[in-house]
Amino acid sequence: MVTSPVELDDPRSDAEVGVVRPWVTLVWNDPVNLMSYVTYVFQSYFGYSKAKAEKLMMDVHLKGRAVVANGDREEMERHVEALQGFGLWATMQKDD
Amino acid sequence: MTRGFRRARHDVRARLGDDERRVLRDVFTEVYDLLEDPAASEPAEQDPLAALVGIGRTVRPPEDPALARLLPDAHRDDPEASAEFRRYTESELRARKRSGLRVALDTLARPSPLRLDDTEAQAWLVALTDVRLVLAERMGLRTDDDHALLEQVAARLAEAEDDSDDLVVTAADESARGATAAADAGRRLAMTLALYDFLAWLQETLVEAMAAALPDERGR
Repeated sequence: MVTSPVELDDPRSDAEVGVVRPWVTLVWNDPVNLMSYVTYVFQSYFGYSKAKAEKLMMDVHLKGRAVVANGDREEMERHVEALQGFGLWATMQKDD
Repeated sequence: MTRGFRRARHDVRARLGDDERRVLRDVFTEVYDLLEDPAASEPAEQDPLAALVGIGRTVRPPEDPALARLLPDAHRDDPEASAEFRRYTESELRARKRSGLRVALDTLARPSPLRLDDTEAQAWLVALTDVRLVLAERMGLRTDDDHALLEQVAARLAEAEDDSDDLVVTAADESARGATAAADAGRRLAMTLALYDFLAWLQETLVEAMAAALPDERGR
């Protein structure tokens, strides 16, 4: 179920080297998923540090949604499929 | 004595009573059945090549809102892209969720304390999530405030019956019947809420036990 951790670069460094990351994966707030579980999924699936995973989880909880990954379309499709597998409410869209 | 999951040296384990195991078996089975792929029962209509590479024909979200929550649209504002995504992923997603629920059901038959390896525990985590998502949708728990609201509704419905005890039954048959039905609904809602809370508690203990083995935690 858990795939290998995914390396994610800082978006600013992408801009510097001109790499286009046109798609984002979003996770939306829902009243069911436990805060601890959402953090656990971000850590175990993406390989994020606990601090980063907790920050993203709090963004989902307080702001209603958070961008949890960005990259090309196929990569985001894999993330959305995996996160849906975990029961998180994940969607993808073009990064405007 | 019930005890939530905790991490032992080689596994995670919990103490669950017979009643709790029965309830878990019921809800796991219900969601397992709910996730059955309608396309799988119509093999004649299925394109064999498409079936082989996991492409389904399903392009619309399920009509049952609880099932739709387990298999949501991947694009919020783009039905066409959502349909395409669903065609390529829904069958597989159903199968993956069902195989996890199957693991949860099979391991539930083990003697106490219930011991799970990491793969099985992972399946349990997702199974508990999916079951809670379905129960929440069925109860109408859709925002962060709804849980408290539903508790009030359950309590108020239960009160309806107490009030009706004072009524003269012959004169107020209709009203008494309505109050009894309301009280039944209130009791069912209260029971579902209690079950939902139990599952949340059990999952919380399992998340904690699993998180304890993550690299960030191990390094401390």
